[in-house]
Amino acid sequence: MASADEIETFMNDPMEFFSHSITRMHTIPREELAALQQEAARRRFAEHRAEIGVVRNLADRLGRETLDSIHDLPALFFPHTIFKSYPASLLDKKRFDAMTRWLDQLTSHDLSGVDVEGCESIDEWIDRLDEQTPLELITSSGTTGTLSLIPKDKHGAMYTMKLWRMFLFQTFGEEPTDADLNPEVEVIWPNFASGKLGHLRMAAMIRREFTGGDESRFHALYSDAISTDLMFLASKLRAAASRGELDRVEIDPRLLERKDEFEAMQARRPQEMSEFFERCSRELRGKRVFMTSAYSLMYELAAAGLERGIRGVFAPDSAILTGGGTKGMVLPDNYMEVIQEFLGVNEIQEGYGMSEISAFHWACPAGRYHVQPWVIPFLLDPDSSAELPREGRQTGRAAFYDFFNRSHWGGVISGDEITIDWDRPCECGLASVAIEHDIIRYSEKEGVEDDRISCAATQDVNDSAVDFLREFEI
Amino acid sequence: MSAFSIPAIVRGELIEKPCVAYPAAGGAPAFEAVDPGAILERLPLGNPGTMQELQSVPLEEILEILAETGRHLGNTGRRHLEAACAAGVAVGGYPASLLRQSFAALPAIFAKETVREIAAQRVGLDYLDGWVEQKLADGRRLRIRAFGARCLHIPAGNGGLISAITIIRNAITRGDAIVKIPSNDPLTAIAIARCLLEVAPGHPLTRHLSVAYWRGGDAALEEPLIRPQNLEKICAWGGFASIKHIAGYLQPGLELVALDPKRSATILGPEAFRDEETMREVALRTACDIGMANQEACASARVIYAMSGTDPEGVAQLERLGQAIYEAMVALPPHLSTPPTRVDRELRDHLEASRMIGDWYHVIGGEEDEGAIIVSRLDEPVDYAPLLSGRVANLVPVDSLERATRAMNSWTQTVGIYPESLKRELRDVLPLHGAQRLTSLGYACHVTSAAPQDAIEPVRRLCKWVVEEECNPAEVFPPWKAPPLAGE
Repeated sequence: MASADEIETFMNDPMEFFSHSITRMHTIPREELAALQQEAARRRFAEHRAEIGVVRNLADRLGRETLDSIHDLPALFFPHTIFKSYPASLLDKKRFDAMTRWLDQLTSHDLSGVDVEGCESIDEWIDRLDEQTPLELITSSGTTGTLSLIPKDKHGAMYTMKLWRMFLFQTFGEEPTDADLNPEVEVIWPNFASGKLGHLRMAAMIRREFTGGDESRFHALYSDAISTDLMFLASKLRAAASRGELDRVEIDPRLLERKDEFEAMQARRPQEMSEFFERCSRELRGKRVFMTSAYSLMYELAAAGLERGIRGVFAPDSAILTGGGTKGMVLPDNYMEVIQEFLGVNEIQEGYGMSEISAFHWACPAGRYHVQPWVIPFLLDPDSSAELPREGRQTGRAAFYDFFNRSHWGGVISGDEITIDWDRPCECGLASVAIEHDIIRYSEKEGVEDDRISCAATQDVNDSAVDFLREFEI
Repeated sequence: MSAFSIPAIVRGELIEKPCVAYPAAGGAPAFEAVDPGAILERLPLGNPGTMQELQSVPLEEILEILAETGRHLGNTGRRHLEAACAAGVAVGGYPASLLRQSFAALPAIFAKETVREIAAQRVGLDYLDGWVEQKLADGRRLRIRAFGARCLHIPAGNGGLISAITIIRNAITRGDAIVKIPSNDPLTAIAIARCLLEVAPGHPLTRHLSVAYWRGGDAALEEPLIRPQNLEKICAWGGFASIKHIAGYLQPGLELVALDPKRSATILGPEAFRDEETMREVALRTACDIGMANQEACASARVIYAMSGTDPEGVAQLERLGQAIYEAMVALPPHLSTPPTRVDRELRDHLEASRMIGDWYHVIGGEEDEGAIIVSRLDEPVDYAPLLSGRVANLVPVDSLERATRAMNSWTQTVGIYPESLKRELRDVLPLHGAQRLTSLGYACHVTSAAPQDAIEPVRRLCKWVVEEECNPAEVFPPWKAPPLAGE
């Protein structure tokens, strides 16, 4: 049995607990890990029950004072909608005081002292939170008509990047060398330079963690930031279209004033892309780099590069990370080869994660995503959300409890269908629970070409009016 | 394994082979249907002159055959409806109790007086049976007659009765109909067409009715079919995507009668809160507007604006009404409403999140997917209002009628209103904002076919309005005698 100190280290500083070795993280025997996880979950629940209003309300409603078994967790998981449960009109009316109170119920940090006086935009509000609290809030792209706002914190973000570095540069089964622990790389960021969107927030973190303080090593595709307020407008247009109310969308005059700026940004992009390729093929050619982005973006970039006759640009031992699903884009079967041909690297690493938890699960050579030790995975019945047995090969809705998450509750039910074989150890030799490579979103699965006709209007209504804004949400 | 098989009816002939298989999709089971490619060539009428046989059938005879078809549907033809019911349950939209209830209404829907009323009120009997003369100010005599048209009908599949209305409208306008079967109501149109074949084999009415299934959007089938040489009109119901898709086939010579996607609303005046008894009555009627047809109809109530006021007292009062509506709704008998057979997971997640936050919304029920009432505490609907379904409705407190009026838009079909005096007050205003049908609270889903629909006259639109003019030079100035303009 681990001591109380050991448990605290395990749940709050897993790098320390596992001596900065990814091999140790994933070779701990399952029973030993299960005992640690059970205790860590019990402690984190007690903390969050005391600190997070929504967790307390839910626990009270379910009559749950303490967490006695991990099987009690799924009932306490949040639907993903909790992070967009505020009325969107509060953002329209610039009621950032009410927005802060809403957010306060979702985080363990105390937001009661936040001063939002004079806040005129969503970006300003988030900047205030950045300045005045430990939070580093991230937003979704709002494709469903509302922005999800997840109260992540700076500590978690920084720690996550350190973990990334471990997983990117270490090799499973080998103790890390000094070179693994302190790699020198150029950072390629094939995206907008900043923004509050989940993955754009990462730009700043990566800039901090991977350049060794030398900002000139950070190479972004586009120099601009994405405006959260513009994203909100795009989501509003989508919501209005689904209600047949496009004619009454009110556009914030302050945003309208910036129209030229946004258009200029759009116009700059082809030029910036050319410069980016120029830089890659001259200044950065043959260098060891770290680069990360979603499959679809990486593919587009690779295809554009190959079209310009650029291939094999970086050093073969570069660290390339991708994941994030194909975001509804249809990619050709050989997309990974296209990416590899352009980059010229030996290996492309893949990972599986989601904004609602901090953990990113790395794929092993066998292509399975190995669940990080500070996360308890669950498979649920896709409809009833009942827990499926933790034995044999099971396919169901993925749900995770990430007890490393401190600033918000770490239990979430995802929209993904995953498969886990609980009994058969992965052939890569790691002891940890592994998720099969093929993951599909239920929405994509159910969105099959369908010709049901109903005279009642449905949400799946889209409007071409938002097309011009769509480019901003990559 | 096929859950059911969809035959086709081509110009009075029942065709059961060859079939193609359709795999299970979107929660619906696998099924098979007659290969549309095999019948494609026979679907269009070809020579429009063959409409003459139908044109000369007296309306009275058409009414008689329809009534007989209705009686047959209630007797020995019932076996076809049972198959339609089983298939409807299999595709998952409705429970059997609701489908049976709507099928039981078919004989009455096809009854002579019901259909005659549609023909009389929505077109005019004399225009259907002959030429109606008018004399114009310039002296000419107009004679007008409503002719049938060659029309592709794409009915919606929610509710089970839209196929019946389609076939009735086609018969009274003496049209030549090709009915595309909706995937969410696979066999109702077939059941009705089979009964028509059984009561009047060989009758011109049967030779101008075809019913078939194909995958909506199947261009290989639709492109050769939807052309002006085959059709004059398309009557398409619902579904934003499907209407947009169909509109892509339009060209000169093809007219689209679009019954677009619709949503409905409810407005409760301050009188609803007058006393306990009134509140109970209002609660029951509102529950009926939400629950009937399991909220799958376009006329179903979803967002309900109440003039309770937005102060704490007003909201508390609205929450009490919400509780009463919820109780009345779950107590509705199974032939009117049941817990939904299918629940939108996204909606359930939103409902749960609103319940967990609690600041802006008070959620009543919904923990067992039985239906729920969300009471807003601010004067606006939930952001996920477009998802409301499966007996989940949203009560919104408002201080002024203006706020409720603003909520109407071009997608608003029915507005249930309480009390009557408020409806009269609003009837000249709401239509300007989009509302199309104002009705007494409790009657939103109790729809008549003898009224205009979606603010248009679809039955008149299905007709070709042909004019014969008689100009006697003694009465109508002859153009050949017109003098040149002064100065030319």
